Amino acid sequence: MMTSFLFRALDAKAGVFVAILLAVIVAVPALNLLTPPDSPFHVPTYAVTLMGKYLTYALLALSVDLVWGFCGILSLGHGAFFALGGYAMGMYLMRQIGTRGVYGDPILPDFMVFLNWNELPWYWYGFDMAWFAFLLVLLVPGALAFIFGWFAFRSRVTGVYLSIITQALTYALLLAFFRNDMGFGGNNGLTDFKDILGFDVQANTTRAGLFAASGLALMICFLICRAITRSKLGKVLVAVRDAESRTRFLGYRVENYKLFVWVISAMMAGIAGSLYVPQVGIINPGEFAPANSIEAVIWVAVGGRGTLVGAVIGAVLVNFAKTWFTAALPDVWLFALGALFVIVTLFLPKGIVGTISQGWTAIRQRKLSAAYADGSDEPPNLPPNSPAAPANVTRAAPSSGAEPQPAE
Amino acid sequence: MSFLKSFLMFLCLMAGLVGTGAAQSDLESLRPLVNALAEGKYKETQKQIGDLAATGNPAVAPALEALGAGELFFRKSDKQVFIAKKAGKGYALSDPLTLEDAGETGRRAVTKIKVNNNLRRVIRSALGSLTLLAPDPKVRMAAAEAVFKAKDPEAIESLEAAIAKEIDDDVRLVMEQARAAAVLNSDGSDGDKLEAIETLASMGNREALSLLIGLRDSSEGEVQQAATRAVNTINKSLALWDNAQNIWYGISLGSVLLLAAIGLAITFGVMGVINMAHGEMVMIGAYVTFVVQELIRSSAPGLFEYSLFIALPLAFLVSGAIGVGIERGVIRWLYGRPLETLLATWGISLILQQAVRSIFGPTNREVGNPDWMSGAFELGQLTITYNRMWIVVFAILVFAGLMLVLKKTSFGLFTRAVTQNRRMAASMGIRTPWIDAMTFGLGSGIAGIAGVALSQIDNVSPNLGQGYIIDSFMVVVFGGVGNLWGTLVGAMTLGVVNKFLEPYAGAVLGKILVLVFIILFIQKRPRGLFALKGRAVEA
Amino acid sequence: MAKSSSLLYLDGVSVSFDGFKALNELSLVIAPGEMRAIIGPNGAGKTTMMDVITGKTRPDSGEVFFDGTVDLTDEDEASIAELGIGRKFQKPTVFESHTIWDNLELALKAPRGPFATLFHVIAGAEKARIEELLELIRLGDKRDELAANLSHGQKQWLEIGMLLAQDPKLLLVDEPAAGMTDAETAETAELLKDIAKSHSVVVVEHDMTFIRALGVKVTCLAEGSVLAEGSLDHVSADERVVEVYLGR
Repeated sequence: MMTSFLFRALDAKAGVFVAILLAVIVAVPALNLLTPPDSPFHVPTYAVTLMGKYLTYALLALSVDLVWGFCGILSLGHGAFFALGGYAMGMYLMRQIGTRGVYGDPILPDFMVFLNWNELPWYWYGFDMAWFAFLLVLLVPGALAFIFGWFAFRSRVTGVYLSIITQALTYALLLAFFRNDMGFGGNNGLTDFKDILGFDVQANTTRAGLFAASGLALMICFLICRAITRSKLGKVLVAVRDAESRTRFLGYRVENYKLFVWVISAMMAGIAGSLYVPQVGIINPGEFAPANSIEAVIWVAVGGRGTLVGAVIGAVLVNFAKTWFTAALPDVWLFALGALFVIVTLFLPKGIVGTISQGWTAIRQRKLSAAYADGSDEPPNLPPNSPAAPANVTRAAPSSGAEPQPAE
Repeated sequence: MSFLKSFLMFLCLMAGLVGTGAAQSDLESLRPLVNALAEGKYKETQKQIGDLAATGNPAVAPALEALGAGELFFRKSDKQVFIAKKAGKGYALSDPLTLEDAGETGRRAVTKIKVNNNLRRVIRSALGSLTLLAPDPKVRMAAAEAVFKAKDPEAIESLEAAIAKEIDDDVRLVMEQARAAAVLNSDGSDGDKLEAIETLASMGNREALSLLIGLRDSSEGEVQQAATRAVNTINKSLALWDNAQNIWYGISLGSVLLLAAIGLAITFGVMGVINMAHGEMVMIGAYVTFVVQELIRSSAPGLFEYSLFIALPLAFLVSGAIGVGIERGVIRWLYGRPLETLLATWGISLILQQAVRSIFGPTNREVGNPDWMSGAFELGQLTITYNRMWIVVFAILVFAGLMLVLKKTSFGLFTRAVTQNRRMAASMGIRTPWIDAMTFGLGSGIAGIAGVALSQIDNVSPNLGQGYIIDSFMVVVFGGVGNLWGTLVGAMTLGVVNKFLEPYAGAVLGKILVLVFIILFIQKRPRGLFALKGRAVEA
Repeated sequence: MAKSSSLLYLDGVSVSFDGFKALNELSLVIAPGEMRAIIGPNGAGKTTMMDVITGKTRPDSGEVFFDGTVDLTDEDEASIAELGIGRKFQKPTVFESHTIWDNLELALKAPRGPFATLFHVIAGAEKARIEELLELIRLGDKRDELAANLSHGQKQWLEIGMLLAQDPKLLLVDEPAAGMTDAETAETAELLKDIAKSHSVVVVEHDMTFIRALGVKVTCLAEGSVLAEGSLDHVSADERVVEVYLGR
């Protein structure tokens, strides 16, 4: 059973993606570490870190796609899970500083000494141990998602209402983490990291290692998402997205399905955050800003929701554009991002990958029908459309066409 | 005590100024009395002070004040009395009644009128009673308040004299309270003190409370018991006032929320459009106010008091027009796809923010308060600032106006018809796309005029709208979507709850608690406080 | 009929929305194996009755029992479906971005928990059953097409197929013949009669020809309660039924 579950994840399309990802994971660190700096093939360390950051964003986008693309839950609060994972990692990194901080306190991080605290708050215990911190990277976002989802899905909060309260959730956390007495460094957050697992976070080798770790995490999570969405559970998720109450009347307990996928997705976002923090070297409450979460949604929309690969492509493309714009034309970036939101929703509802694969299917169908018309024996066995491409069919019902629907 | 003196002095001056024109001729009749001070010993001086005080004319106050301070001199040559201040080797003289400059003189030409401590006391109470008898009730009131603060037992007599003559009820009340404060500070009989406690207890404010607490801790027997009882009574009433204060702050915050949310109640509640750029409509309204004020400053400064009235219609039009543009350009293609609408309008909000940032710069812009928006007044123990009060009034007016538009005009009728049954409305000949655009414009325009109001209490920056969008959605969802009354009740409830939480939890934690509360509330009642029930056939 | 020997037992059920009484002291009993047709004018409470039985709407008062012992007012939609009550909606609702095959697979009787479905591998018996159903609803050659591309009538049939895949004890069928041609209507009637041999069925329909073709006991609802009950001839002879529903 387990093997077939995992086997399902890998088909030709996914294989191509995984192969490319693997090549990148190997090539980029190799070109950074093994080539001399003056070689034309040399990848500078800053670029490795930058791309590593993109990969963690891609993982965040993947987690958003899992809930939004397949289950129809538009989360405007996934940044909260990302940031919580980041904080868990940040706490571990803070404890690793030891006596090398400005105040030289062996136990207390600098900001606590600065606030005149005498002992470590209880929730900081255990973060000196890597395994504990890494476990909490999964458990903290997972637990928050479970509690939130338990209430939200059981009481059948759906659609934009759910989106808005997820946004309120991350907003509340933003306000909370700005407070100094929360014990997470307040406004400044956690920074000045020295070591991770005994390696210097600034070292080239560590940076290359973090890049590879981000790539591997992305690959594993991609395969898990793939296995989930191609299972019968994945079909139920799509059913929930398209006709939630119909699914209930078939006997599926929708809230459990949503909760399951929601918690998995939050944990993935947490992993992304935990890999992001050592690469950028800081985590502060700004990561909880609602704008960040919405930006992650647009990455998915650009790439194509419900395609998994699209989420990854969208995240990398948009962030590459952001890096370029903020360096070259900083004032233009927000205009460009804003326009991207509008253009994608208006003209590219299926995103890049969705649009391409739709076009490809259309061409294939035309060829097959032509062959059938030419007198071949069998009727064309049309390939099933990807269940994930939603937009063309959800708009099929004429009654729900382009008209305002008063909110219920 | 010196504070009291200088304060009384100031009052005297004020009284003098007020009385200048009419009293000019009287001054000369006072001069013999003042000049009399030049002669006689202490005993006579005391009588002369009494005579001056008995005139009840505040113009003599500076002379008395100077006498007490040892600055009253007489010229040896003609026994004329002057106020003298050291200037170089000699003295600068000024007239004791008109206070006009009277030149300088050598040290030997004048002699100081001597006073002792006994006389100084006499002077003080004379001064007190003088201002307590001043013709202007405001001066009398201020004098009585000053006596209350000083709680000088010496002032009791003059207070009693003043109370007997007082015709203004309000002033008499304060005088009686001042007398009570002075009595408590004196070594008078217990009976008097008990009476004084009664008087103070009926004041019920913090000043009376601190006086009584002092008395409770320092007295004994019956007086102490009475003081304890009075302290408890005042504490209770102060707690009530505290609640009233919280409710007022809550209503004030609630009306800000109402202003921000009411436009959203139309676009989201009535039309079902998730407009994440709603906050930016508010922001644009605030910037319209800024531009209007800048133009007025540079071209017609006299109109500044009316700048808000000029800005209101303009803000409505500008925000409304942008709203119509957004509806026609983007939103109408996305009807029935709320999540996509949410994303697209978020993009629009980014564009609008960046546009404003490019035009006006990223920093806060200064929007001034007209005079009628600044200052505060007291209501019982409450301090109410005018800008908050006008915003509450304004929010209610906007709400009422919107209700009227929706319930009483044909446009409102069309809007309701279209949102309830689009096809039927269309077949009755209503141009539904036009109604969509206008309704959205109305909601956006109202956000714009909310921006005019919020510019008076908040920083006008490109991020202004961001601060309101989540709160606004919370209000609309909490109150029940599609129900304007729900929005009103929701805004006020959230405002008041927030302000009641703040003293216990602090401002930030209070806000977090409110957010958590709403999140839980939505779980319990997903359709808000005033949900519309119905046989919604969904599949 | 006694509660204990009934399959579905409604007694004194009332539901109101903002003062409007959708159901008013409705009482209805379906015996095991019975097929019943429900008629009535618009707003008579037919759909609300289905909502109450399937757990979508909670009644304000009254009893709803399934199999004589299970109180349906305590259960939610999913557990009611698990108990063996299947429902076809008035407006056909199928999963439009799934293929016909997947629609049936999702409906097929099988463990409904997330982990069961996560590791589910489709077995030979399940495949055979789906084939059988495809045959029955005549969509065998369209098995890999998206449900969105089906015609209205085909969607109705697919939904009936999904109902059968659930293998329920009781089928609630809301206007199965709506939007069908006469030929299709007749076929649908035949199909339902077939189904009724092994299941209990409650059909709501406006089409009198269709009801006549079914040839079963008829209940006429009006204003939320039962107006008349009996054979079609008996009911259509009833003065009040003629007045509120059939017309003169």
